[in-house]
Amino acid sequence: MNMLTAQIRRDLALMWAGRGDAAVMLAFFLIIITLFPLAVGPDPMRLQPVALPVIWIAALLASLAGFPRIFADDVRSGWIDQVALSPLPLPLYALSKVITHWLVSALPMLIATPLMAVMLYVDMTRLAPLILALGIGTLALTLLGVLAAALGEGARNSGGLMAILVLPLAVPILIFGTLASSPISSGPVGKDPVGNDPVGYDPAGYDIITPHLLLLMAVTAVLLAIVPVAAAAALAEAEAESS
Amino acid sequence: MFDYFANPTRFMRLARVLVAPLSVLSVLLILAGLYYGLLASPPDYQQGDTVRIMYVHVPAAWLASLGYVAMGVCGLFYIVWRHPLADVALRSMAPVGAMFAFLTLVTGALWGKPMWGAWWVWDARLTSMLILLFFYVAVIALANAFDTIERGSRPAAILALVGLINVPIVKFSVDWWNTLHQPASLLRSGGVSIDPAMLTPLLLMLAGMHLFFAFVVILRMQAVLAERRIAALHIRTMAREGGA
Repeated sequence: MNMLTAQIRRDLALMWAGRGDAAVMLAFFLIIITLFPLAVGPDPMRLQPVALPVIWIAALLASLAGFPRIFADDVRSGWIDQVALSPLPLPLYALSKVITHWLVSALPMLIATPLMAVMLYVDMTRLAPLILALGIGTLALTLLGVLAAALGEGARNSGGLMAILVLPLAVPILIFGTLASSPISSGPVGKDPVGNDPVGYDPAGYDIITPHLLLLMAVTAVLLAIVPVAAAAALAEAEAESS
Repeated sequence: MFDYFANPTRFMRLARVLVAPLSVLSVLLILAGLYYGLLASPPDYQQGDTVRIMYVHVPAAWLASLGYVAMGVCGLFYIVWRHPLADVALRSMAPVGAMFAFLTLVTGALWGKPMWGAWWVWDARLTSMLILLFFYVAVIALANAFDTIERGSRPAAILALVGLINVPIVKFSVDWWNTLHQPASLLRSGGVSIDPAMLTPLLLMLAGMHLFFAFVVILRMQAVLAERRIAALHIRTMAREGGA
């Protein structure tokens, strides 16, 4: 465990030293969202229905931009050889990368999301489920990114490869994530007065914990179990290649 | 038997014996299936003659899914035992399976237009089959993404294994979601629900396409092995000339 925290602190220190990279990813996220109103048109009636999907797609694409570099520096500097020789197991090393990458790339996006939601006319009462689902969804995406980065380490054109590897696997995350972000669509949940017509619901009256959010959590849990081991298996190959 | 084929020369010997009968048998079965399917079977009482698309669509869909399962199993064999043929088989199956997935989507679109009124609907079965095609593409891309060919073998095997989770989703999508695509007619609890007049050509086509899949995969495996042998010989002659 000590080794794990040491690894995370090292990576965070390195990321802080090169914080411009994280800023570029955040800027990418903001720019994608800015482009949609320009393409769809500024009409709130047309923007509001696509706001949540737009934020999700932007998060997906912006995360993608950071994936090829997750292991690249460690392989080039030979750090990964040192990890392989150290008592820190490779799966835990992969897990440390998930944690640091989520903190550096996903967390700034989550912080910027309320602002983006305002710009896309998302109802403010809907912010909590969006942030919650997006937080869990980006964790799942980061897990996929670590797996893809480990698989494609050392490949030519790793950027395009990342997209091909991650996007098919990201489908359930996108489906459950967008559904969990707008809880009312998941049926008559929440504080409806007994016997009242569903049309008369208080718009703020919904449960944050919907079946879709639980499914999103389940997908994340499965990935959390599989990815460190699968990524370690792929990294062992990359490490054997580089040394 | 598994260890026996760790030696590619033995596999090549067997493959040389198998290729001719497999090719002849598969062509004969497919021709018979096409004859019964297109000419000698009755039109559907609701769908008319468009039902004949089924005789290509269903076998292609089977092989797209089954081919992926076979590829995933090869991936497992390669990761766990480093079986040299498993990698060759995985690389050989991927484009063939991708072709069948593509064929499924194309014939499905041709069938969907007259029956549903749309080339494409975002239905769970159609979407999951499209994603299966994406997985095939990803495996092919990853296997060939490195400067030395062998370096891509293990990542591709891992990805093939991970992608296996999509196969049950394709198979059971018609049961789990309320889809426009019809539910299973062959592999279902309660037995086959197709009339024998239509079942005969369908089974002929299924058998023929399976043999065709095996035939093409073995042919491709022979080609990959021959390619590797040429590369090895090339390196050997280069070394000898360099040493002289």
